[in-house]
Amino acid sequence: MAEPLRQRLTQAVLVGLFVVPLAVIALQAVADSWRAPSLLPQQLGWRGFEVAFGTGGAASAIVNSLAVALLTTAICLLVGWPAARALGGRLLPRNGLIALLIALPLLMPTYLAGFGLTEWFIRLGIDGTLAGLVLAHVVLALPYAILILLSGFNRTVDELEEMASTTGAGPLRRLLWVTLPSMRPALGAAALLSFLVSWSQYGSSLAVGAGRSTLPIVMLPFVRSDPQVGAAFAVLFVVPALIALTFAARSQRSPL
Amino acid sequence: MVPALGLLAVFYAGALVGALRVSFLPLGGNIGDASPAAWQALFSDPAFVDALVFTLRITAVSTVLAAVGGVLLALALRGRGTGIRVIGALPVPVPHLIVATSAVLWLAPGGLADRLLGALPLDLIRDSGGIGVIAVYVYKEAPFIALLVLATMGQSLRGREEAAMVFGAGGLQRAAWVLWPAIRTPLVLGSVIVAAFAIGAFEVPLTVGPNYPPTLATYAFESTQGDVIAGEGRAAAALLVSGVLATALAAVAVRLARSVEGG
Repeated sequence: MAEPLRQRLTQAVLVGLFVVPLAVIALQAVADSWRAPSLLPQQLGWRGFEVAFGTGGAASAIVNSLAVALLTTAICLLVGWPAARALGGRLLPRNGLIALLIALPLLMPTYLAGFGLTEWFIRLGIDGTLAGLVLAHVVLALPYAILILLSGFNRTVDELEEMASTTGAGPLRRLLWVTLPSMRPALGAAALLSFLVSWSQYGSSLAVGAGRSTLPIVMLPFVRSDPQVGAAFAVLFVVPALIALTFAARSQRSPL
Repeated sequence: MVPALGLLAVFYAGALVGALRVSFLPLGGNIGDASPAAWQALFSDPAFVDALVFTLRITAVSTVLAAVGGVLLALALRGRGTGIRVIGALPVPVPHLIVATSAVLWLAPGGLADRLLGALPLDLIRDSGGIGVIAVYVYKEAPFIALLVLATMGQSLRGREEAAMVFGAGGLQRAAWVLWPAIRTPLVLGSVIVAAFAIGAFEVPLTVGPNYPPTLATYAFESTQGDVIAGEGRAAAALLVSGVLATALAAVAVRLARSVEGG
């Protein structure tokens, strides 16, 4: 097969496989009537979003989800940074073991994590609070943040920092002008993943949240019972994820 | 370092201890009241055995299909432009629930696939074999594995392949001796993450899975809904089983990958 033809074929297959099925969700969200066997909706309208924001409680769920995801992201970056720095700089003995310990929570089923933590959160009086949700999400997202930041702290960063300090830059200037810019791609990726892990979290939120609504929690019943409302929720659900992705993609551009 | 490790250790151990405690003690009970009743109830419940088998089957099939699909996708995307790579990675940031929504729209009886093809030969959504669940996982995770594998398919691999070709290695030999060693580590790591996720499967089986059998996580959830006191203990025990399975599987996979490397 000629190369351009093959390339176009791959492209068509991928668009058909990944773009079309997901894009059709947006159409379903505004399809007030879409009965078989028609391939196009019979009637368009806003019923899906009206129900989502009405009985579905989408507005408060979005606010809760955003607050939890943004706080989780901030904590993961702040706590993950020094950890990745120490691991990447090989300041510690038994680095491999520590990296393994950090990765362990990745293997823990999310509902188990939430279920086990709830037992303690009830005693601490933080079950069903934003703080409880953020703590549970941090445990699940922090390993990703550390492992990604770790990949950013390499020899090049060390050498650049050394150069900066021999030319007389103090710790603050070094951080602002050298370390942060050269870590931008890793920071962007770590922030994106922390945000997405929290934003999509279902199992742990169900256990810890004690009825406090987040977007996935209020959305799920509709996917089964009323697909149009489910699709409207899906649109609300995917937009912040795509915005986060765009930000992260921009931070990947070569910084130096 | 210390805050991060401390946080993870305290909460990881805390979650495990919390679940263990619930599995042996009723909520708020004293240590003297501890009993293995919940565990006995769990292992004598035929629904738990069904859930265990169902979870393992879904995990095995989705992981293998996602790994194979991921490598094929990576080979198709290799050396292509940024635009096409972004399309190939599209499902990675999309939450599972959205993929499940799309699966219902397309694959449910009377869904778009039915309408396009006249009729689907199988029931895919909420079928007792869990095909819908597997479809969602493969759709979401194959691109994830492709991303990990693609990261190792850079210029240096191309160079080694060309060198092998110069020495007369055929396509199969190049795949076995040059490509496979390069992609093995990310492939195993990615598969472990996919398998761990499928073992903990929750929202996907709730939306596109059958009413029966449940997965371990949905079995635990249903236990807490039915019987508030005894159900909590059984749920905790079932979840601990899933946690142990995920960790054991990861340990075996990492060991296997290492011994292949050594030999």
